Amino acid sequence: MEEYPEELRTPPVALVALVGCPELHAVISTHLHSEQPPINTLALPDFSKISLISKTPKQPPHSAQSLGIFKRDWLLKHRTRVPSVVAALFTSDHVSGDPAQWLQLCTDLENLKLGNIFAELSNTYYRDEGRRIKTCLERKSISSVELSIRYCFKVAVYAEFRRDWVEALRFYEDAYYTLREMIGTSTRLPAIQRLVEIKTVAEQLHFKILTLLLHGGKVVEAITWFHQHNTSYKGLVGAPEVNFLHWEWLSRQFLVLAELLDMTSATIQSTVIATDKLSEWEFSSAYYYQLAAHYLKEKRSCFELTLSMSETASDIDGNAESVAPSVYVGQFARLLEQGDTYTMQPITDEEYVRYALAEGKRFQDSFEIIALLKKSFESYTNFKAQRMASYCEFKMAREYFSVNEFGNAKLLFDSIASLYRKEGWVTLLWEVLGYLRECSRILGSVKDFVEYSLEMAALPVSIAGVQSLSSKECGPADPASLSQREIIHKEVFELVRGESGLASNEENNSVRVTGDQPLHLEIDLVSPLRVVLLASVAFHEQIVKPGAPTLLTLSFLSQLPHTVEIDQLEIQFNQSVCNFTIVNGQRPQSAAISNVQPGHRVETAPALMLSTNKWLRLTYDIKSDQSGKLECVSGPHFTICCRAESPASMNDLPLWKFEDRVETFPTKDPGLSFSGQKATQVEEPDPLVDLQLGVSGPALVGEIFAIPITISAKGHAVHSGELKINLVDTRGGGLLSPREVEPFSTDNLHVELLGVSGLESEDDNIRKIQHSFGLISVPFLNEGDSWSCNLEIKWYRPKPVMLYVSLGYSPHSSEPNAQKVNVHKSLEIEGKTAVVFSHQYMLPFRRDPLLFSKIKPGPDSDQMASLPLNETSILIVTAKNSTEVPLQLLSMFIEVDDDDIGSLAQCNTGLRTLQTLHSSCLEKSSRRFSLSFPR
Amino acid sequence: MASTACFMIVSRNDIPIYEAEVGAAVKEEAAHQHQFILHAALDIVQDLAWTTSAMFLKAVDRFNDLVVSVYVTAGHTRLMLLHDSRNDDGIKSFFQEVHELYIKILLNPLYIPGSRITSSCFDTKVRALARKYL
Repeated sequence: MEEYPEELRTPPVALVALVGCPELHAVISTHLHSEQPPINTLALPDFSKISLISKTPKQPPHSAQSLGIFKRDWLLKHRTRVPSVVAALFTSDHVSGDPAQWLQLCTDLENLKLGNIFAELSNTYYRDEGRRIKTCLERKSISSVELSIRYCFKVAVYAEFRRDWVEALRFYEDAYYTLREMIGTSTRLPAIQRLVEIKTVAEQLHFKILTLLLHGGKVVEAITWFHQHNTSYKGLVGAPEVNFLHWEWLSRQFLVLAELLDMTSATIQSTVIATDKLSEWEFSSAYYYQLAAHYLKEKRSCFELTLSMSETASDIDGNAESVAPSVYVGQFARLLEQGDTYTMQPITDEEYVRYALAEGKRFQDSFEIIALLKKSFESYTNFKAQRMASYCEFKMAREYFSVNEFGNAKLLFDSIASLYRKEGWVTLLWEVLGYLRECSRILGSVKDFVEYSLEMAALPVSIAGVQSLSSKECGPADPASLSQREIIHKEVFELVRGESGLASNEENNSVRVTGDQPLHLEIDLVSPLRVVLLASVAFHEQIVKPGAPTLLTLSFLSQLPHTVEIDQLEIQFNQSVCNFTIVNGQRPQSAAISNVQPGHRVETAPALMLSTNKWLRLTYDIKSDQSGKLECVSGPHFTICCRAESPASMNDLPLWKFEDRVETFPTKDPGLSFSGQKATQVEEPDPLVDLQLGVSGPALVGEIFAIPITISAKGHAVHSGELKINLVDTRGGGLLSPREVEPFSTDNLHVELLGVSGLESEDDNIRKIQHSFGLISVPFLNEGDSWSCNLEIKWYRPKPVMLYVSLGYSPHSSEPNAQKVNVHKSLEIEGKTAVVFSHQYMLPFRRDPLLFSKIKPGPDSDQMASLPLNETSILIVTAKNSTEVPLQLLSMFIEVDDDDIGSLAQCNTGLRTLQTLHSSCLEKSSRRFSLSFPR
Repeated sequence: MASTACFMIVSRNDIPIYEAEVGAAVKEEAAHQHQFILHAALDIVQDLAWTTSAMFLKAVDRFNDLVVSVYVTAGHTRLMLLHDSRNDDGIKSFFQEVHELYIKILLNPLYIPGSRITSSCFDTKVRALARKYL
């Protein structure tokens, strides 16, 4: 669109001229320019310059055969040089007249609105001009079609000056249709130039129409119009030697529409709804950018063909210099210098072709094509039309490839390949990989070359090879076929064996895989190279004891078309002691064995051949370890590192998943194929230390209950031993009362771990974390030694409790990360209430009828009783031993104070001391006296 | 018969399961070019398929003279045709009959839905239908 002259791209603005009083011109110009609609001014300082805008007398155009459709500078002339109104400004002292009219003049001047009057006058001028030409048109007295087009164009432009868009559109369309009729009939110019002129004019008219439609918000009409324009001119290719001009022209039509759509897209976005005729994508500029690029490519290929067929290039260059655009739109002429003046001389078609070729050589089409595709790509990406965007990306990459920018091409191809991989479009992936392979070859990147080659060779293409004719449509890789895969497979293995080199364009020598430059490929779980080599590892047992042997099955699968022979397999684990190497027995001379470190386990397999789609299964025994990485090695300087996968969690090969092939399991045992894991759990060794909990009978509430713990080391020494003690409610729930969330207090506590006694050093041996959890460190014990301590636990409520004691120690060293052995013991201990207190009052004899016959508990206190005042009441207190052990009651206190009567009992069995009774006992026996008077 | 026509069946997970160049001028070399266009058209089909209850979506995409028409089955398998002829009725009949063939393939207990159609019988019949209708 930038190629169009400014006056064509913007709507015309009325022009007025100011003469005289130059000091006021700036003010007036600014004012008029800010009017709505704006008016441009042509300022002439004084009347001597008025001749500039005087009209040169024209010969009546009807008489002669017109030389062109319209002049190149006509529109510019009317916008910048031909004013519609001329205003002459005079200072007041230059005006003389009847003083009686002076006042009237002043009033008139007061009322004069400059902007309005100018707008009105220029409107009238343009209307009159338009009407004048329209009359000519209507009289049908025009001699030639050219004139009729020119008149329509002029009427339309005048209408545009008046902002009468409807009329402008109508006359532009008239001009356009008349022009279309001219194609077969005009004979004024030589054939090639005739078509060029018509197309150039059509382009301008089309552009005007399109702009008017789009600015009017008629997007659907604009697109429909464009399609019509496209259909009527698409076939007019013209002479074969200049057909590239046609494609360039067509490409420009699409580009201009795309740019116009981009400019208006903000406004149309909301209004556009796909109609019956047009679908949604036809409103997006991306589509038109893409087609513009497509036609520009067509242009380039035609241009190259023409250039190769034409005479020597120097001849073209020399001749074209004096040819220039002539005064008429779409025409070219030779400039002849005659002294000071130039004259235009018509040129022949041959001269024109040479000129066009010379002009065409100045442009770098590829970069233009890439720029167009890039716009299209960005636009599609914004629409989240990923596949469309990828197609544009592919074309971009191909352009880069054709202009030898292999780095850029590779980047783009890489990103497209991932989409086609994901969606499994094998033919397209093959094509892209073919380009990638070629790019990496030229860039001298051996690793990439090998990777792309291997991937191509392993693609699911099973079409038997077609005898391919090298077509320019095809990429560097020939069409996908099985034979092509085999060729690639052979090539790449010759390369990695060092038998052949990779001919790179970068430095003229070929790149080889040698000992100095070994090649190492990594295949992980998401790598596209999983089709090349899939490794799976399954331990036959999920849990093994240390030192006990277990079986391990290694399975390999390859989709390469030929059998691959592996020299050596290195299996690595996360515990490096277990690593081992499998050597191909048929290749004992292989140099790779020398890499093996002394003391390393080496197994020899009779053959390590990987055939297509057939699992290579190897089973070995292994001792005490977990698996980590699996590495397999092939070729003297070529290694592939392959992450092992568990058969159970192994994903299908995405591209081969839906192919017609025999499905086999990685292991012989199908059960193992479904459940096998690449890791195994190694158990800890059996403990050789005894842990004893010596407990006699149930615990009593209130008592400090001691539980002796004995650790005797029988087979192991105990290093950095640690006892973990945990008290758990057997019925579930906590050892605290349900109100545990409340701030912690001993009131809520039912069972508490108090401490440990019987330790030699008392300091910091128990680290209490909670009231139910403790951690005790055990000193070093030699084999045969024993150690003991007493746990002190106190019950506050009768409750059965599980006591868990676990001893963790390391049998060999006291290093913090040495392997630990654990011994667990648990014991259920019941807490019982030792003594149950109860009490009752002896009821008084019924002596007074007013006295209550029954002592009822008050409503607000559960055990409240009313007793008669000044009478002796008898309270019977009962203490009952509810345990199986005999208890000796030592003393019992019943205390009375103003508010409370508390009872405190102390009893002794000789063995156990219950120092205090739990508050529940107190609550039961505490009483409050209340006074009551008979009324 | 159309001079260019490329027919593909794309499974519901966007993987091509059958492809055939069925035009009169069969150019295997250009097959991938056609596939590029068909692949790109999936974006439009994806949007369009949910806006209409019709199975036959005619001319969803246009590239130069080539037009993409699509038939979306109830299982969201897409039969895609890239063609240069304007014979809408023929294309519709072609799609309907290929759909029937596809259903017969689906009824085969040994065929896993979504996997590549390798039946040579299917291939022959599709090509015969193409000659008949396109």
